[in-house]
Amino acid sequence: MSVRLPQAARSTTVVWAVLSAITVVSWWLGPAHHSGPPAPSTAITVAVLALGLFKARLIIRHFMEVRTAPLWLRVSTDVWLVALWGGVLGIYLY
Amino acid sequence: MSSVAPPAPPSTHRDVAPERRRKLDQLICWWTIPVFYNIFGLIFVVLTRVMPPPRPDITQAQMVEFFADNRLTIQIGFALLMFFVGFTSVANALIALQIKRMSVAPVFAYGYIVALAVGALPGCLFAAFAFLAAAFRPDRDPEIIAMLYDLGLLSFVGSLGCFVAQNTVLALAIFLDKNDVLPKWLAYMSIWMIVTELLAGPVFIFRSGPLAWNGSISFWMGTGVFVVWQFCIIRLLYTAIKNQNADEVIQD
Amino acid sequence: MATVSEADKAGRNHLPGDGNMWVFVLGDLVIFGGYFIIFMIYRHQERDLFLESQQHLSLTVGVVNTLVLLASSWFVATSVQATRAGQYQRAIRLTVIGGGCGLVFLAIKAYEWTSKIGQGYTFPSNDFFMFYYLLTGVHLFHVALGLLFLGVTFAELRSPKLRRVSMVETGATYWHMVDLLWIVIFALLYVMR
Repeated sequence: MSVRLPQAARSTTVVWAVLSAITVVSWWLGPAHHSGPPAPSTAITVAVLALGLFKARLIIRHFMEVRTAPLWLRVSTDVWLVALWGGVLGIYLY
Repeated sequence: MSSVAPPAPPSTHRDVAPERRRKLDQLICWWTIPVFYNIFGLIFVVLTRVMPPPRPDITQAQMVEFFADNRLTIQIGFALLMFFVGFTSVANALIALQIKRMSVAPVFAYGYIVALAVGALPGCLFAAFAFLAAAFRPDRDPEIIAMLYDLGLLSFVGSLGCFVAQNTVLALAIFLDKNDVLPKWLAYMSIWMIVTELLAGPVFIFRSGPLAWNGSISFWMGTGVFVVWQFCIIRLLYTAIKNQNADEVIQD
Repeated sequence: MATVSEADKAGRNHLPGDGNMWVFVLGDLVIFGGYFIIFMIYRHQERDLFLESQQHLSLTVGVVNTLVLLASSWFVATSVQATRAGQYQRAIRLTVIGGGCGLVFLAIKAYEWTSKIGQGYTFPSNDFFMFYYLLTGVHLFHVALGLLFLGVTFAELRSPKLRRVSMVETGATYWHMVDLLWIVIFALLYVMR
């Protein structure tokens, strides 16, 4: 029984580390740190949204364990992810 | 000793009628709910035009025009409401009874009744009276008509405290219930109701945008959640009544 | 594979927690999706205003809050694994720390709101700040509710007669959703431009 634990624990820790690393990266991607309103940037926003989608999917699949959940749950969460981030990107680019 | 007949088993003394009667009374109460909400829809959507509400950001002249245009249907609609609003008391009593069937103290049932007894006034009657007064004398000072417009719609959309209380006691009762009278997912839906009610609070500040009384969040999303919740509870109440054991003892 | 997680052993068909919580989570995701889309529509109409207002948010505070919630999710996820392994005392400790991170999140959020209000950016200041307080406020409600659910998990783990894995999973599922929603809010309010 104890051999099962390290595998799941390791995977959780790796996922957490990746999520945290991406978050720190967005500190650089974020609005410039000098005075004045941030300059809009399509490239950066697309990157931010893509990373957001990636992070969200990691949380759903690994933390929420949807990876090993029934098919309907895997599909519906993926549909939600695409609808949300796709919708956001679509409105941004419009 | 052997000549004494054993007492007859209870079933032969119980005639069938009380069992059917018990369910019949609850089913009559249940029927008032779908009937009421259909009439409610007719009144508020078609006749009085409160749902969806007219805008907060129009001029006084436009508010006067609103009442002039809809005068007759407002009066018919809200006169009807005065009669049919009584159905809600029966509906809420039914839900309270089902809450009493749960393994929790009846305090939640009482809380439910009180919350909605209070909520009925700002929740629909206030708007009715305000609009009826505005429609009563069309040549009234426009300032006063505008105020009645605001009073009616602010109270209708912004009256949230009672309904937060209602949904909180319902959710708590369901979560704590060991008898599974109503399913737990209804409790979670009641939490959505709480959130959407809270999000109606900002209507007192904003005259336009998503948090105004006609806003996409304060009105439309709130109403959407309410409609879904209402459909669910109507269906679930029917099932609960049907599944109820006829000689079940309900706590006092 | 010699070492597989319990969920994997269930053959890709294990629904964590119970169906009721998933109704709640999926519905909440749809409802929040509505808020996010509405936010984007208003942002689209007032791009300059939103960009100008965005600079007044502290990206650092946003990053810290995100890291705090991610850490709390790690603790909660690990407590579920501990529960499955029967290590209840460890699971309790992890749940408490996870909840503690949630409290830290609330404290940072309270500090952030206070400082914004102090700088004059209030709820009705403009549309950007209306959405800022709206989204973070509703999210705050969900964090508080999540802490309540973690409290139920704590009680469940403490009582030797209970300790049902599905209950612990249920609380954890909701907590991860709270984390997930913050990820979206962080991207939309703080980072994207």
